[in-house]
Amino acid sequence: MASTKIKGARISGIASAVPQKVRTLDDDAKIFDKNEVMKISKSTGVKNRHIAFDNMCTSDLCFAASEKLLADIDWVRDSIDGLIFVTQTPDYILPATSCTMHSRLNLSKKCVAFDVNLGCSGYIYGLWLAAQMISSGSLNRVLLMAGDTSSKRISKLDRATYLLFGDAGTVTAIEKSTNSDSFNFVLGTDGTGWNNLIVPAGGFRIPRNESTSMPIERESKNIRSEEDLFMDGAEIFTFTLLEVAPMIKNLLLDSEWSIDMVDFFVMHQANKFIIEHLSKKMKIPLTKVPTSLENYGNTSSASIPITMTNNLSDKLSQDKLHIVLAGFGVGYSWGAAAITCGPVVMPDIVIVPQDLNSN
Amino acid sequence: MEKKEFYSMIEEIIEAESETLNGHELLEELDNWDSLAIVNYIAVVDENFSVTLAAKKILNCKTVDDLLANLNASLDS
Repeated sequence: MASTKIKGARISGIASAVPQKVRTLDDDAKIFDKNEVMKISKSTGVKNRHIAFDNMCTSDLCFAASEKLLADIDWVRDSIDGLIFVTQTPDYILPATSCTMHSRLNLSKKCVAFDVNLGCSGYIYGLWLAAQMISSGSLNRVLLMAGDTSSKRISKLDRATYLLFGDAGTVTAIEKSTNSDSFNFVLGTDGTGWNNLIVPAGGFRIPRNESTSMPIERESKNIRSEEDLFMDGAEIFTFTLLEVAPMIKNLLLDSEWSIDMVDFFVMHQANKFIIEHLSKKMKIPLTKVPTSLENYGNTSSASIPITMTNNLSDKLSQDKLHIVLAGFGVGYSWGAAAITCGPVVMPDIVIVPQDLNSN
Repeated sequence: MEKKEFYSMIEEIIEAESETLNGHELLEELDNWDSLAIVNYIAVVDENFSVTLAAKKILNCKTVDDLLANLNASLDS
């Protein structure tokens, strides 16, 4: 895709929520060899992750973030005419989680609501959808929710995933704007990478049965069942090398932005090794590349907004910034956005305790 | 790439003492040649040669010398 310039929409606020329960390296060392845990943490950069309680869904996290943001942002609920829910851990097979969320937030019947089944690239795709619908005049005010409870799909005995992923839910308020700033997007797909980041069983291609739930020893002594998340690190790394650097380069060219002009590059928090290698490759100073994965891990589609909440709150709530966002991974799917953002409403991160009323 | 240089590069990745590799080592028996090392290796090659190696081809290599042959083939193409 050539880049798309979209005018007439602006981000007005971002809020992120995580479960109160934290998993630490000490917890990990109870399951895996401590030296191995430290070696992997040194490469991934992940130390702590927040993990959803048993009865806690992605929607609960997004709900907590939404209530916080709506309290701070001065939006009348009836004025919200779009709700996009980006997740790969929905409440139900059906109905869409955007519909259950519509009920919980008590939104108007005029509201358009739908889910988007994407992960790492999901936030960029969600922004693109929201911006287009506003720019075209279809909608005025959109809540874009993005997050996952990946921990619920992961084998406790798989180093590649257990030590990496955390849970989070976020919400971004996007609305019509009369200022001249624009969003610039580049999006892409390579479906041939579909089986390198996958939960093989539990859908309709391979329905759940006795054998799909059996944990089996795989490469490097990792143990997982067909119902657990599988990630081929080497394949995904080569994919990011081939696609992500050119994507960002093209985006900057089309936006007529130099690296110097960009205040921050907020990348999907895949792991520190990938982020640092990509930054070095593109000659982006690491001071412009904030990371939140040390304390939250890889939170799928929530990782870009949670990094903005965690690292850029002060600046985004006061200044206007030139930001490049880049999401890439499961699918393979990728997207990047060049946006001018701020000042926007940026509440502190919401910590969600166990007791929660949910649908 | 020359053998000596290559062995040196691998030794650094797997944190082995210098000049201990002879090329005949089986990768599956090489200490520290794990998934992290493979990713590191792909990164080092990218950094030094601006070439992205295919993960599958790396996994098909049996010995250190096979890795070198694969690298040189990728550099030539």
